[in-house]
Amino acid sequence: MKSLRIKNLKKKFKNTIAVNGINIEIDEGKIIGIIGRSGAGKSTLLRMINRLVDPTEGSIEFDDIKVSSIKGRALRKWRSECAMIFQQFNLVERLDVLTNVLIGSLGRNYNLLNLFGIFSKEEKINALKNLDRFDLSGIALQKAGTLSGGQQQRVAIARALMQKPRILLADEPISSLDPKNAKRVMDDMLKINREDGITIICNLHSLEVAKKYCDRLIGLSDGKVVFDGSPEALTTEISKELYDLDNE
Amino acid sequence: MTDKDIMNLHPQVFYPLWKRSPLFILTLISILTYLIFSINYFNFSLNDLLNGFSKMKPILISMVTWNDFFTWNFNSILIGILQTLSMAFLGTIAASIVSIPLGLLASRQVVKISLPRFIIRRFLDFIRGVDILIWALIFVRAFGLGPLSGVLAIFVADTGTLSKLYSEAADNSDNKPIEGLVSSGATKISTLRFGLIPQVMPIFISQSLYFFESNSRSAVILGIVGAGGIGLQLSERMKAQYWDQAFFIILLILIMVAVIDRVSRALREKLINE
Amino acid sequence: MSESLIKNHNERLKVLIRKRRFWNIFLSIGILLGLIFSSKIIDINASRLLSGLPRLGDYVAQILPSLETNSLFLDSKTEGSISYWYFNLPKYLHLLFETFNMALVATIIGSLIALFLSFFAAKNTAPNSLIYFITRRTLEFFRGVPEIIFAILFVWALGIGPIAGIIAMMLHTTGSLGKLFSEVHENSDVRPREALKASGGNWFSEMKFGLLPQVLPNLISYILLRFEINIRASTILGFVGAGGIGQELYLVINFNYYEEVSAIIFLIILTVISIDILSGYLRKNIIEAE
Repeated sequence: MKSLRIKNLKKKFKNTIAVNGINIEIDEGKIIGIIGRSGAGKSTLLRMINRLVDPTEGSIEFDDIKVSSIKGRALRKWRSECAMIFQQFNLVERLDVLTNVLIGSLGRNYNLLNLFGIFSKEEKINALKNLDRFDLSGIALQKAGTLSGGQQQRVAIARALMQKPRILLADEPISSLDPKNAKRVMDDMLKINREDGITIICNLHSLEVAKKYCDRLIGLSDGKVVFDGSPEALTTEISKELYDLDNE
Repeated sequence: MTDKDIMNLHPQVFYPLWKRSPLFILTLISILTYLIFSINYFNFSLNDLLNGFSKMKPILISMVTWNDFFTWNFNSILIGILQTLSMAFLGTIAASIVSIPLGLLASRQVVKISLPRFIIRRFLDFIRGVDILIWALIFVRAFGLGPLSGVLAIFVADTGTLSKLYSEAADNSDNKPIEGLVSSGATKISTLRFGLIPQVMPIFISQSLYFFESNSRSAVILGIVGAGGIGLQLSERMKAQYWDQAFFIILLILIMVAVIDRVSRALREKLINE
Repeated sequence: MSESLIKNHNERLKVLIRKRRFWNIFLSIGILLGLIFSSKIIDINASRLLSGLPRLGDYVAQILPSLETNSLFLDSKTEGSISYWYFNLPKYLHLLFETFNMALVATIIGSLIALFLSFFAAKNTAPNSLIYFITRRTLEFFRGVPEIIFAILFVWALGIGPIAGIIAMMLHTTGSLGKLFSEVHENSDVRPREALKASGGNWFSEMKFGLLPQVLPNLISYILLRFEINIRASTILGFVGAGGIGQELYLVINFNYYEEVSAIIFLIILTVISIDILSGYLRKNIIEAE
């Protein structure tokens, strides 16, 4: 089994230390929830995994890929295997849903025609299949900006699937959604984890959701790991420490 | 579901490019055809172009070799710059003042009868349609070479634009009788004679500063057709093929414009904050 | 307690009013000084203006056509008819067509180059700061130097004719649009680009899918505006020999073919106004379609 090994990871921005020495090992195939209050370093940690942010110290390795130090083509290849969805969906609002999904395949195999917006028949069929998994193929030609938040996030997941990723990083995917849509998105993520075996590392600020969907919880506070275990092992005391006062 | 099924469910997705985005393809083709047409129409020959550029090489070189720097006539250059700035200054002020009554006369709020208003508006359109350089040529005919013609050209051209701006602002304010000034793009200002002016002043000044910026650029260009200032100095040196001095003047012009831009922007920001 | 607050407020108000009054006086004196100084430099005074006015009147009277109502629509050999006034109309139309094409070609090619360079001149899309700096300064140079100066240069190197004008306008268009485009890029939403980067896309994909779709309506609007401006410019570049109707206008002014002056000026006004209206209409439709 392959694993993602994070050793002594630190990230310092101008005056603040966002991540202050994190050591964890994540095995393939599970859903990992990262919890903690805002500013605890969750987002920074996630973005160092796909190098949207570069670490100041420490290393990240996946298998024999030195994630924290690769550059250029190797980095792009890693990013294509490590998909990400965002709190604000990050779709291209003016383009239609199908094109948004097709964009996901650019990292994996990229040819000049794609730059002109021309995609092959196979890629389009693939995209439609991915949309269909989430019952979204009906709106394939609608402009992405006209969709609701929940729909947009699920389109983002379909886009992520185009990458045929090993890992899905989810940066507060449901923070902008109402409870009903949040549940739908989490259910879809659960589905692709169980059906495709994709490892999911998910930042959540709702403890309830985290406990419900994740196999393992990692609690961050001030850039350090203060909890690492199963949802059952998370006591109310530790929750209080993670979130300061209230337990969501 | 097989691939064929998917393709049948969403036929539009699999249309060829020309069917999916006809507008884009059409635009592309028209632009390409047009460019080919224009190469023919203008008798464009790469050979001539390259020959021409090779002719420019010695010019470009002489532009940056300043051998007799200290023998240049800096006096005329200095006066030229002062003249250009003065042209812009006088022209802007005169236009700002005259545009106020004209703008109000062209506005629906002030002149209720359509005919005189229509005439004034067409008159302003006419002034704006004639490029400032053409005005300069006309004034040079009447007032001779020199910055006086330049000031008048700037004055006339700006009056056309500013009057339209002011009249639009007047039109856009609410239906209370207008007795005072209004400025464009700014807040709708109800008009009490004494409450109005202190309110309007900063915006009015800001607008004038913006026009002064643009007018100093125009003033340079006007000099080239004889309306005095640094533009005249530049064109004379170019005619005499003193390329080094010409390049020096061009640099000075760029610096002058940049300085005016910065100062104007700073002043305008300060005005907004007051 | 509240009394002293009111007193305090009044004090501050007085200071503010005093400050504003000071500024007003300062400004007025400044402007007055400026006026005096400028008038001295330019040697402008009431007598010069007054003596020039009759000459202006004369000139305007000379260039206006002598149209007579009963011969308005007669043939071009009859004085007083419109066709007499516009006897050179075919030539003018020919030149206007050339002028129009000069502006169109310059706008098209200038926009394409500007688009290409704009990516290097925007802080958030430039590959490194050296390229950003060089591209930005270059664009500012082409934007800052008045077109007519480039036109003079190119007429010298390439000869009299529209090509000099086209290249001059092209350079200026590149500079101006390049700067405007790069500002649009800098104000664009970073999120779609982030998504593209995170999925392993390269710089080109980021630009094509993450940036371009957002900014395209703005870019097109600026290009149309630029075309309006270029039409105006191309009518006057002829003054220095760069082709188009400007060349003819310069000629008739210098040779005092009085009525042709007004004929050409009216044609130019008509053209400029029509293009303005057309361009405004296109721009409104493009904005609305988005």
